[in-house]
Amino acid sequence: MVLVSAARDYINRLLQDISGMKVLILDSQTVSIVSVVYSQTELLQKEVFLVELVDSISKSKEPMSHLKAVYFLRPTLENIQHLRRQLANPRFGESHLFFSNILKDTQIHILADSDEQEVVQQVQEYYGDFVAIDPYHFTLNIPSNHMYMLPAVVDPPGLQHFCDRVVDGIAAVFLALKRRPVIRYQRTSDIAKRVAQETSKLMYQQESGLFDFRRTEISPLLLIVDRRDDPVTPLLNQWTYQAMVHELIGIHDNKVDLSSIGKLPKDQQEVVLSSEQDAFFKANMYENFGDIGMNIKKMVDDFQQVAKSNQNIQTIEDMAKFVDNYPEYRKMHGNVSKHVTLVTEMSKIVEEQRLMLVSEMEQDLACNSGQVAAFEAVTNLLNNENVSDIDCLRLVMLYALHYEKESPVHLMQLFNKLASRSPKYKPGLVQFLLKQAGVNKRTGDLYGDRDLLNIARNMARGLKGVENVYIQHQPLLFQTMESIIKGRLRDVDYPFVGNHFQQGRPQDVVIFIVGGATYEESRSVALQNASISGIRFILGGSTVLNSKRFLKDLEEAQRIAKASTNVV
Amino acid sequence: MATRNRTLIFRKYRDALKSVRVPTSSSPSTSSVGGVGGGGGPVIELASTSLLHPNRKYAPISTEDPGNSSKGAFTVGLPPAWVDVSEEIAANVQRARMKMVELAKAHAKALMPSFGDGKEDQRTIEGLTQEITGLLRKSEKQLKRLAAAGPSEDSNVRKNVQRSLATDLQNLSMELRKKQSTYLKRLRQQKEGQDGDDLEMNLNGGRSIIDDDNLDDMVFNEHQMAKLKKSEAFTVEREREIQQVVESVNELAQIMKDLSVLVIDQGTIVDRIDYNIQNVATTVEEGLKQLQKAERTQKRGGMVMCATVLVIMCAVMLILLILKTILF
Repeated sequence: MVLVSAARDYINRLLQDISGMKVLILDSQTVSIVSVVYSQTELLQKEVFLVELVDSISKSKEPMSHLKAVYFLRPTLENIQHLRRQLANPRFGESHLFFSNILKDTQIHILADSDEQEVVQQVQEYYGDFVAIDPYHFTLNIPSNHMYMLPAVVDPPGLQHFCDRVVDGIAAVFLALKRRPVIRYQRTSDIAKRVAQETSKLMYQQESGLFDFRRTEISPLLLIVDRRDDPVTPLLNQWTYQAMVHELIGIHDNKVDLSSIGKLPKDQQEVVLSSEQDAFFKANMYENFGDIGMNIKKMVDDFQQVAKSNQNIQTIEDMAKFVDNYPEYRKMHGNVSKHVTLVTEMSKIVEEQRLMLVSEMEQDLACNSGQVAAFEAVTNLLNNENVSDIDCLRLVMLYALHYEKESPVHLMQLFNKLASRSPKYKPGLVQFLLKQAGVNKRTGDLYGDRDLLNIARNMARGLKGVENVYIQHQPLLFQTMESIIKGRLRDVDYPFVGNHFQQGRPQDVVIFIVGGATYEESRSVALQNASISGIRFILGGSTVLNSKRFLKDLEEAQRIAKASTNVV
Repeated sequence: MATRNRTLIFRKYRDALKSVRVPTSSSPSTSSVGGVGGGGGPVIELASTSLLHPNRKYAPISTEDPGNSSKGAFTVGLPPAWVDVSEEIAANVQRARMKMVELAKAHAKALMPSFGDGKEDQRTIEGLTQEITGLLRKSEKQLKRLAAAGPSEDSNVRKNVQRSLATDLQNLSMELRKKQSTYLKRLRQQKEGQDGDDLEMNLNGGRSIIDDDNLDDMVFNEHQMAKLKKSEAFTVEREREIQQVVESVNELAQIMKDLSVLVIDQGTIVDRIDYNIQNVATTVEEGLKQLQKAERTQKRGGMVMCATVLVIMCAVMLILLILKTILF
């Protein structure tokens, strides 16, 4: 509840002290921030009768001075320019300005200069600069996510912009929680180090007054890691509800767009999957596909019972009861249709793309060892016509990541096979991935073959066998969290920034993955939080990845890298 | 949850920059501007300021016609007429809520065992219920008036106001119905407790029991006759009550049906703010396109064509006429 309730508190406070009819003006980022935690009906209850985007509102010319304008924007250059224009020609009675992050003095100066009509009643900073998609998972929806893979020399302003957004988002999370953390970062990643150092500068030097909360408990821990330390998790196919929907269809700001998938009735083309508003989803979001099927069947059966009793109307009392229960019935109907539609579409996709076969191979490549057997199995699947091109690419990538150093001959053969199979996905991409996230670049023990303890654990698991082949993979994040709980996170691998140090175990840990987090990792965090370990974990990422997005970032980064080397 | 207030710094900058700018000609306006800006906007302003600053915020002292405020850049901002309607509806809803509280009290009183025959209580309950239903009906009719034609920002505001009021009305209707049904149930239970035989007779419509009586006992004695009459009167009374409640249930069901079109289903995509913004953008664009298309069709349209053709024909005929008179 932590992140969602923090965001909701901010929005409640924003609206509660201003009486009368209001118009809420947002920018494209704050729309996401507000939409995931606040619904339209709640806005209507707070007398907000119009919601507009700050860039489109300047086109309209109607003055509506019976409305009070409440602006909730990020303090960026474009927003300040828009505000300037609107304050110079105000359309609304009063203006109340709320910014989601720290304002610079120059920006306040510019605003004060353009407020000739003196419509601005207050200027406040409410630090809700993150999208709280789940209680313990936030994202920043950064569009140019691929920047983190490029060296700094390629595009310094772009990279600076990326880092600034990440630092702003992390700072907002800690301001919302009213804590100042001790910062650690992954040693092998330059961007993680940069983000960590800039965050530390912000919290301890530039705005140290703002962050000084005088709390006496142990400081929380902020751990900044790089996506490339665990490139396997985003490439895998998922079989738990939330992760699977994102992998096969795509979830954006807790909304699923089904319009491209098939012919569906109008009210099912775009649906909401939010654990806060949908009790069935909350109970099932981390369950695997088989269990979901059974639970949905139970839900449909319950619904049919209710529907049957509704049809059996004989007396006036029955009629009255029907009218009473109609809103609930309608809501239940909508919910049941939504989940049934989602599961049907996903089943279709699984069938078409032979995902059960492919995924078994993927899990095997990710979790088990045995290079020769793996090579043969991958070759077989590459020969299989029914496996799609993108799945072939993923299989080769997973093989390459695991068996990079063993038998280069086999690796070459796989590359050739991939090239002949699909002209679209050149093997160059696999090599780019290896360059970015190969065994030399990774800190964490992805395959459990460095540490003696991990080898032993793997052997034990192999002997015991797994419950479900399809969800046997544990993301690297799980190991990291375990190390933190046991207090054994190595300083060599994850050093502290500057002269920070931590005494004892932290009780709150925020892990930020530069380059994006996945829903599999957010599931891991949620399950860890549900178990009683005394530590509360929060996961953040620059975006939410699925395999398509990760591959897109790789391609984009490869293209830019190639272009820049050509120039140089 | 940390926040930071930057209003003081902002005001400081604003005042500093204002003194740097060229001051306006009349001093009373500047002083009142300063007073208004600093004090957070008192509603009453001097008439001179409203003339000098035509785009100012809400000023009730104005000679403008209230209906014009949505057009033109120079109107002083009075709220448009529909705001009055929405305020009226809100006031009705509030009144209905208060009356519901009274009704709850009356229900409780009626259910308590009393020495009187409870007709007073019945009448108050009836009166209150009718009043509330009347208020709800009236509000619902007024709600329909709030709908606006044509896409514009104003129409979105109106639609949202409509939605919010519709939700309130629906909740009130449901509350009223629940109260009524619980009251009826309790009433029935009470009556059952008081006279069990009579109730049984009432439930079976009375006649069959009387037939049984006939079979058993050919002669009615006075006691039985009296009992019979009492139970008949009782039946009639109960029927009337039930009829009334059914009527009000039906009325409310009607209101609810009408309202449910307006109310948003919570938790669905329609309840999402970003979805509504996208839709607004598309509807406004669509509306613009429709307007442009309509303009074009009108220009191109039949009327203009016909008129031109007719004029040309008239001219031709006139010329022919003149030629005819000249030649002949």
